[in-house]
Amino acid sequence: MQDHPTDLSAVRQPIAKANGLPNAHYIDPATFAEERDAVLFDNWAGLAVAADVPEVGDAVPLTFLGMPLFIVRDREDNVRVFQNTCRHRGMILIEEPRRIEGAIRCPYHSWCYSTDGRLVSTPHVGGPGQNTHEGIDRALLGLIEIRSHIWMDVIYINVSGTALPFEEVHADLLARWAEFDKPLHHGGSESSFTLDVACNWKLAVENYCESYHLPWVHPGLNSYSRLEDHYHIEAPLKYSGQGTLVYRQLKDEAGTTFPDFADLSDKWDTAAEYITVYPNVLLGVHRDHAYSIILVPQSTEQTLEHVNIYYASSETDEDLRVRNAVQWKEVFTEDVFVVEGMQRGRHAPIFDGGRFSPAMDGPTHMFHDWVAAQLERARAAPRAAE
Amino acid sequence: MSTLDADLLHAHAQGDAASLVTLYQQAAAQANDTEAVAFYLTHAHVFAMEINHPDRDALRARLIEMGREAPLGPPRPPLR
Repeated sequence: MQDHPTDLSAVRQPIAKANGLPNAHYIDPATFAEERDAVLFDNWAGLAVAADVPEVGDAVPLTFLGMPLFIVRDREDNVRVFQNTCRHRGMILIEEPRRIEGAIRCPYHSWCYSTDGRLVSTPHVGGPGQNTHEGIDRALLGLIEIRSHIWMDVIYINVSGTALPFEEVHADLLARWAEFDKPLHHGGSESSFTLDVACNWKLAVENYCESYHLPWVHPGLNSYSRLEDHYHIEAPLKYSGQGTLVYRQLKDEAGTTFPDFADLSDKWDTAAEYITVYPNVLLGVHRDHAYSIILVPQSTEQTLEHVNIYYASSETDEDLRVRNAVQWKEVFTEDVFVVEGMQRGRHAPIFDGGRFSPAMDGPTHMFHDWVAAQLERARAAPRAAE
Repeated sequence: MSTLDADLLHAHAQGDAASLVTLYQQAAAQANDTEAVAFYLTHAHVFAMEINHPDRDALRARLIEMGREAPLGPPRPPLR
């Protein structure tokens, strides 16, 4: 039996005294549901990438934490997120990825919606051949849109609608990486892959945030990237991650590299940074490419990791892109046994959430602390039904 | 079954929206009462909207003129 709600007091201690989140946050469905609302719905969670809908009219259905959604690129070239549910009888509107030529027609009674969500037709709603009725106000019956924001090509959604604007929440991070705020060119099909891992989504964040594990889990990196070449990135209650001072560009046999992003400062000649945009988006930036990993929880103990890699130009060498994608997939796959191992470890009933290295685990503790803060905020809020 | 009925069934079976737009307009032209005309034009209009057919706006205008349809509302900005 899990304690619910959980005791978060130890998590919020300074790192030298803190414990990690209790086991229930990894194995208990009730706590998973609490985090769904307080951590993922109340904040800006990553859902997908804009590159999933590259052309006007492209629509892709998705399920996010049980919610049927679809993303669409509307006629004005805006990427938007809607509930995939007809306002009439709740029918699913879009079953599979497709190009919408005109309106979205519900397959049940043919209510039609424009790609900006307007209800544009309600055939026979007032009787045969009568398509209006005073009881059906189309202005109030458009598709339910989910608040969204796009940054680094990631589509972030705030399901509750209560978060501060994305630019405010992440102002520091946007400033930190302002040099990368320029067009990103998706590397194509070979630069997109998904890992299905048997762990709670947070374990992928925790592992990503710290460099402590690199020499043990990624010994291949050790040949040029030693532990002491890494630094912590710590913005309390905002974001965290790690950076390296010795990034080396991938080269082909002729010594060709990917083109750099324009106008980068000298720091980025050899630096690269890896940051978690709380709650569930892992980003990496380098002088010549960037990537995102969107963690989509499937259940308490199962997560999909959607990886997409981007370049500074649409004209990059395909073979080199493939090599880069293979290289990153190897690195990310090396982490799977760790996150799945920690997941199994969380079933040890006397485990206390674990301790942190005060010197090496700061970015990871920072994530635990942020999750705990979200839960405390939600627990303190008055409930509408009470 | 008339040829038009058969063609409509075939177009439905094929998911051929462009043909449905044409065939339902033919059905409306052959109908001899207002209710039936509005019914068929409604179907032509729905499939025209679905595929952005060139007849879309004219069909809507005709239905509005018949008191069977309403003008489009204003565009909705994205919810950011």
